[in-house]
Amino acid sequence: MPFRGIHAEFRRRQAGRSLFRKLQIMVHIKDTLLQAIELLYLLVLKELKVRYKRSFFGYLWAIANPLAFAFIYWLAFKFIMRIEMENYSIFILTAMFPWAWLSQSVTQGTGSYTNNVSLVRRVRLPKVILPLSNVIQEMVHFIFAIPVVFLFVFLTGGEGNPIMQTWQIGLMLFLQVLFVFPLTVIGAVLNVYVRDIQYVVGILFSMLFFATPIVYPLSMVPVQYQVYFRSNPIYWLIESWRTVFAGEVLPAQYVFNLLLWIVVFSLFAIWIYRRLSSKIAELV
Amino acid sequence: MKMIEVKNVWKTYNNHPQLGIKEWIVGGRARTEGRFSREWVLRDISFSIDAGRSLGIIGHNGTGKSTLLNLLLGTLNVDAGTITRRGKIGAMLELGSGFHPDLTGRENIFLNGSILGMRINEIHRVFDAIVDFSELGAAIDHPLRTYSSGMSARLAFAVLVHARSDVLLIDEVLAVGDASFQAKCSRYLHEYTEKGGTLVVVSHDLQTLNALCVDGICLHEGKLVESGTMDVVIDRYHRLSAGVS
Repeated sequence: MPFRGIHAEFRRRQAGRSLFRKLQIMVHIKDTLLQAIELLYLLVLKELKVRYKRSFFGYLWAIANPLAFAFIYWLAFKFIMRIEMENYSIFILTAMFPWAWLSQSVTQGTGSYTNNVSLVRRVRLPKVILPLSNVIQEMVHFIFAIPVVFLFVFLTGGEGNPIMQTWQIGLMLFLQVLFVFPLTVIGAVLNVYVRDIQYVVGILFSMLFFATPIVYPLSMVPVQYQVYFRSNPIYWLIESWRTVFAGEVLPAQYVFNLLLWIVVFSLFAIWIYRRLSSKIAELV
Repeated sequence: MKMIEVKNVWKTYNNHPQLGIKEWIVGGRARTEGRFSREWVLRDISFSIDAGRSLGIIGHNGTGKSTLLNLLLGTLNVDAGTITRRGKIGAMLELGSGFHPDLTGRENIFLNGSILGMRINEIHRVFDAIVDFSELGAAIDHPLRTYSSGMSARLAFAVLVHARSDVLLIDEVLAVGDASFQAKCSRYLHEYTEKGGTLVVVSHDLQTLNALCVDGICLHEGKLVESGTMDVVIDRYHRLSAGVS
């Protein structure tokens, strides 16, 4: 039956072609993705280089800032307000660096389109890479600070299982990137339309700093209000980091809460981005 | 093979000035008269560019030439109509976009190359060729803020031509290079189109444009008023300038 033979041959060719085409597309996507990752790396490197190129202490400044604030809060609360708590310095320090990563990323990332007009308008790049580079850049600062935190933990006699701590830190780094990135995208996109957002974000984060149990433990909050503090997503982030730095096992509930908020933020960010991103280039 | 096809493209800017709380209270209004306040930046533009051709775009200030290039590159989106692109597009729409003044020429080559879509390995491979083409020599390790605008243009162009784009979009920026570098660029661009590359240039320097491009289009108040060979288009442009339409 020649006709059926031809037909089968035709279908086989079609299938072959579409498979080949699919492979081509897959290779193309892989190439584009790797290229974007390299671009991200170069953008982060640029920011880090530019920021510290002409300073003597360089990267140390990234650690100095949260450290100085931790010291000030320690003075204010431990020394003057006489907060009753063991290892209060570690308590603040373990929260300060994740907080710095979060707040710096979002406040600076909010300007990532409006402050990079020529990168938005004159060259073609995947637009989300600009806020993402802000997040990664602050992550690098955070990673530099990890040994400092452990030094303090060690000095005050803490201990832990190094293997478990390593993978838990890895997990938390990953979760925090997912946590911070959508918030940064939301800020960056909205700021293109209404420049007031950058000021709002600045004030919001000063308020959130004290609204989140960072310099005080949740147990000091009157019991009837604790439920509100628990619904603050940043509380779970900070609390998770504290657990990890203390060398304890991260409770599944913490990870679950974080993932829940990550999904909420991401959906919101995707919605905003899809609605508003097409006009970014002409409005910056 | 059509590398870029523009069909009935319309473009407007939301050209209401950004209203702040002050204007909101006082009740400020945007001025909507005058030559530069335009409802439509581009009106019903259609043209196409074949592979291996070179197209020059001319027109007075504010007629939408740069907007058109941005649309071709894809950083701006059309309001109506379609633009179909083929191949990899490289663009130099502004001197120093993607460059950072505090980084050295070397670091900027990597950053800019990556922005143009090159892989880091690829940049390593053509790095020496880029430096040779730019003729910057030892200055490649100096920070970019010490460069003159001509030197930046050399560097930017050197990276652009090594990014192996199928289509090049260039806006006005070659004028800052000195005579020998401009000659080198136009030599290169001629070779580039001979080898099948496609070129789109916006410029007010009609002589250079005439030497560089075979085809041309002339924009006037957002409309495409003439297309054809460069001579014809330049002639039309002169008549427009003289006030005859």
